[in-house]
Amino acid sequence: MKRVWFNITVVAFGIALAVSAISAQRSNTATYDSERQVKLQGPVTRIDWVNPRAFLFVDVKDANGTVMNWAVDFGNPLELERDGWKKSSLHIGDVVTVEGSPARSQSKEALAKTVVLTSTGKRLFAPAPARPAAAAPAPTPRWPDGQVRLGPAPGKKGYWGTPSSRVFVENKGAKIPMNDDGLLRDLSDADRVAPFQPWAKALYLNRQRNLLKDDPLGRCLPQGGPRQFQMPNGFQFIEQREIGRILVLLGGGDRNWRAIYTDGRPAVPAAEAVLTYYGTSTGRWDKDTLVVDSAGYSERFWMASGGLPHTEALHLIERFSRPNYDTLKYEVTVDDPRTYTRPWNATWTVQWVPDKEIEEYFCEDNSEHSFIR
Amino acid sequence: MSAQEGHPLTGTWGGDWGASATQRNHLTFVMNWDGKNVTGTINPGPDSITLASVFLDVANWTVRFEADAKDAAGKPVHISAEGKLEDISSYHRKITGSWMQGTTRGDFKLTRD
Repeated sequence: MKRVWFNITVVAFGIALAVSAISAQRSNTATYDSERQVKLQGPVTRIDWVNPRAFLFVDVKDANGTVMNWAVDFGNPLELERDGWKKSSLHIGDVVTVEGSPARSQSKEALAKTVVLTSTGKRLFAPAPARPAAAAPAPTPRWPDGQVRLGPAPGKKGYWGTPSSRVFVENKGAKIPMNDDGLLRDLSDADRVAPFQPWAKALYLNRQRNLLKDDPLGRCLPQGGPRQFQMPNGFQFIEQREIGRILVLLGGGDRNWRAIYTDGRPAVPAAEAVLTYYGTSTGRWDKDTLVVDSAGYSERFWMASGGLPHTEALHLIERFSRPNYDTLKYEVTVDDPRTYTRPWNATWTVQWVPDKEIEEYFCEDNSEHSFIR
Repeated sequence: MSAQEGHPLTGTWGGDWGASATQRNHLTFVMNWDGKNVTGTINPGPDSITLASVFLDVANWTVRFEADAKDAAGKPVHISAEGKLEDISSYHRKITGSWMQGTTRGDFKLTRD
């Protein structure tokens, strides 16, 4: 078979924040340099269509004529399947053109922005077009007594999937330029993210300058706090009304769960709680809104992407409402006077994924040491 | 070991100080951030010393400690130490620097337990 070799072109870009929102414990920001772009062309030698990250391998000829095998990360295969792609969308020997961000290390790895079949110009593994919004969303599902259901209607399947925001910033209206890992484009915007105490701002900036490489989620530790509702792979509520408990099943991160007690027990003061990743949560319904009071958080996790710090004094008030079948509104008030100068709020929505179940995902499969090369 | 991700001084620290490499004195620091001040104790127990002040300069992660203790003869002695906080993202982060106790000058090293 005649083999065709192509050249590699590396182009430095000024600032590029458009890192793909692939599910990641292996943080895209820490792994790939979004400020540079690499263009690779050559035949595919291997395809790893394995959860949580799919890789294709391409033989690429450099300017000196040396052939190097590059590993190209092109997304989560479960998400790709949802967008209509299959492993058979690409074959060994196909010549592809890949554009993306190279690894920060010297290894021959890249995170693809685009993969194009060179012979036809067809773009592969692109996200599916957004579903057109229904003319009139289905009404909020309810229990027989009229209380809002947070899960599927009887006989239906589904879970909460895509958040409207993957970053956690104070509600102030203006958008702060940052990537999906919470990495600020301009560090001088830090004061707009949250009302930090001086030490907290310094620590936040330190984490930002380190490109978030110390994120505990990268070591597969649980994602306590608001971050659990911004993870890829979604979450689900299991409402156990007979015992006064709601379980929150988390599809991303370390694939864990959290309990919200709705049996009327009093909220536990932070000073008296056993400190845990998910804290101790009590909930009550205020008309159509579930209001959850949580405290007792350990300091072993980042409550949000981007490296927002907190202390054991962290106290969260979360409000969950479901204005229609497809939308969950999440509002959170962060009260940690040891870290922030005042309580502050953030809000986002999460979209319902109908007729599906949370897919298998294990963080440990995506950690640095388990990577394929 | 998971990191403690909150205020970088909070926790229990172990180490020593001394005027030379062979003349060392054990140190245990227990510090806590209450939202306004770092409070703490040196060598908790019957001979504990309350930290009179702890100042963290977050611009360069330097720490200054002041405390009043008693020497072996029971006479008051002032302690003043200044160090640099290193590897702040690590659970076992360190503070190293200079230690002044009365008229004795030395160095110290603390590692978060």
